[in-house]
Amino acid sequence: MLPTQKPLIYLNNAATSWPKPPGVLAAIAQSLSLPVFGSGRTTGTQGEDYLTLARDGLSAFLGGAPPEHLVFTHNATDSLNILISGFLAEKKEQCHVLTTTLDHNSVLRPLHEYEQQGRIRLDIIPFKDCFVSPDAVQDSIRPDARLMVMTHGSNVLGSTQDIRAIGEILHDHGIYFIVDGAQTAGHIPIGLKDLPVDAFVITGHKGLLGVPGTGGFFLRDPKTIAPVRFGGTGTDSFSLLHPRGMPERFEIGTHNYPGLAALAAGVEFLNETGLAIIREKGEKQTLFLIRELKKEENIMIYNDHPDLPIIAFNIKGLQNDDVGFMLARGYNIISRTGLHCAPLVHKAIDGGEGCVRLSLSWFTTDEECRFAADAVREIARNADSAVGPA
Amino acid sequence: MRILRSVRHKVCADGSFMKEFLLDVPVTREFFTYLGNFGQVEALPNVGKGFYKFEKPDWFSIKGFAGDTSVEVRFKKEVMDLTVDFVYLLFSTYRGDGDKFDLSVLKRREEAIGERVRKRLYET
Repeated sequence: MLPTQKPLIYLNNAATSWPKPPGVLAAIAQSLSLPVFGSGRTTGTQGEDYLTLARDGLSAFLGGAPPEHLVFTHNATDSLNILISGFLAEKKEQCHVLTTTLDHNSVLRPLHEYEQQGRIRLDIIPFKDCFVSPDAVQDSIRPDARLMVMTHGSNVLGSTQDIRAIGEILHDHGIYFIVDGAQTAGHIPIGLKDLPVDAFVITGHKGLLGVPGTGGFFLRDPKTIAPVRFGGTGTDSFSLLHPRGMPERFEIGTHNYPGLAALAAGVEFLNETGLAIIREKGEKQTLFLIRELKKEENIMIYNDHPDLPIIAFNIKGLQNDDVGFMLARGYNIISRTGLHCAPLVHKAIDGGEGCVRLSLSWFTTDEECRFAADAVREIARNADSAVGPA
Repeated sequence: MRILRSVRHKVCADGSFMKEFLLDVPVTREFFTYLGNFGQVEALPNVGKGFYKFEKPDWFSIKGFAGDTSVEVRFKKEVMDLTVDFVYLLFSTYRGDGDKFDLSVLKRREEAIGERVRKRLYET
């Protein structure tokens, strides 16, 4: 039996990454140690201009997006709501919208709301072998198709989608393309400058190593999205209408300066460490875990070759939330169980029951992976024989 | 055995309502065997110090590790107002391993609540 009194092993990084780099913690502390500097909102000159720092750093990190085209929001869901609502705001007639069964509720729910209101007709393209094929996208396009919203990386299967090929098909048909990069930013190079996407959504608290409450989106042509929130910007204050320049067009109210300080520091850490090195380590550890788990015949792994450090599995004879409970209470291993806010993925892979997800970060050690693999295998070995009356 | 307080709660993906209860003494294998009088118990005794799960369909489930002073209880939300007191009663009636229990009071209570749960879930 494995020892149970162990240090915390955190394998829920696809939800919120932890721990954070020391520089992120220091940046938050530093940002709060002086009055904040917000352009147009103070006469003080103390403190860093965290907004500019984060915007410049992140836009360069994401592959050369013009900094002013990077908008900060609360998180990816917030970004998607702004983009979807803003895109549809000026559409007078019902239109055809596409998404995929890989997508998160942050995409599915806004779109289903608009479908219920009769504003759109929604088609949800199924995935096959963890991927949505460009051909399936091509085949789903109707003459009145105007928008596709889809994930770049599945938060359950860890597969990254060919958004370049899909984007080219969509643009050939004049269809607007919003990509949810919540799971990929900070894990793989994005290359926004040349990517055929119209908007790309990020969140700060996952791979970018920032804190919850930060996110954003890149928008290629600001005029394509109508602002849906209005208020103070600290600029052009005589105007009683909201400024239309970027990024004020979409950024309202006082910014989350400590959060942006953290985001800038997270990006700096990723740059210093090197995305290629981070990715290589994650791939090695992910494949190690998959290899180990596959040694037990009653462990079902839903993607043997994920592109992201995500392992989704179930143990036959056990409910996924029971496995998560055992890992947490018996081994001090934090995972995530259930539907992961992606119900259609689960409908396809496990009949909608949900699964256990282990997700790694740069800070996950080889020893932690070994311990986690042993723990899951120990539970699996006990599953078939022991389930039954006490 | 007494429930001292509820330390955490959340709504689960399946719509159930989870409460983590802190207890005055650790749960044991015997405690879950006692719970078996009112539902099904599953056990993986070789995982950690022993994982146990009590399931009372349509009412709630209780899971925990032997030796822990906290358990996770998941209520079926639609009838939680009817069943939550029974959880407290189940715990408080258990006075310790080895003791003999008169289950008749609990059984009568279970029957009465069960009728109301059934009506709520299947007749309204």
